Amino acid sequence: MLNGISSNLERYMDLLSARQKLVASNIANADTPGYQTQDVDFQFEYASMIQGEQPQIIQAQGLKTKADGNNVDLDREARLLAENAVRFNVASTLLRGKIKLVQQAIQGGNGA
Amino acid sequence: MSLFSSLQVAASGMSAQRTRAEMLVENMANAETTRTPQGGPYRRKDVVFSSDTQASPFSAVFQNEVGTGVRVADVVEDTSAPELRYQPGHPDANADGYVAYPKMNPAEEMVDLLNASRSYQANVSAISAVKDMIGHSLDILK
Repeated sequence: MLNGISSNLERYMDLLSARQKLVASNIANADTPGYQTQDVDFQFEYASMIQGEQPQIIQAQGLKTKADGNNVDLDREARLLAENAVRFNVASTLLRGKIKLVQQAIQGGNGA
Repeated sequence: MSLFSSLQVAASGMSAQRTRAEMLVENMANAETTRTPQGGPYRRKDVVFSSDTQASPFSAVFQNEVGTGVRVADVVEDTSAPELRYQPGHPDANADGYVAYPKMNPAEEMVDLLNASRSYQANVSAISAVKDMIGHSLDILK
């Protein structure tokens, strides 16, 4: 009952938190010479990711490299930071609703 | 759970930027220092950042974690020749009456300091975003 949508949601949230960590790395390394922006191919990973497995890291394309070989774009990272957080919140709210539903069914509709 | 390690990554960024800011402030404070324990004028210091292969070696053993923190790999001293100013009355003046002062551009230091402070703020934002995510995932069980 819970498996259908919630395993997809779980994978989605897993992937979002992995991506959020990469964003945090990119921000932390915004001043590291030679550092290349890391990212995951979100759609590809979502379609192919095996539960529990870490996604493949790719280097973000199309970013301008600075004189020290670093190509972190703080605006891009800020956008992704906010986007990931919002997406994660949506997913967790959905999952919560799903669990509430099951809870209600267990309690015979008397719960909430 | 990689959300908690994200906090570590962002915290490594904060600590690196803080070290950088400390160095810059030290540089500015010593802009006119002509005596040091090593002898000679103060030499401006600079930090070298390097990406850290693993923010938490413990969890790395159990899963191949993504993402890298940052650390201060080295603190380098400026080796360029000091600036000579003609001050014959100064106790540290050489035989010709010139005093060696640290070679420093305050504007450069200030811009660097601004950069360090902005980068620090970016890391703080990352921490609060991740904290928010952790909070929401805890709410699932409520």
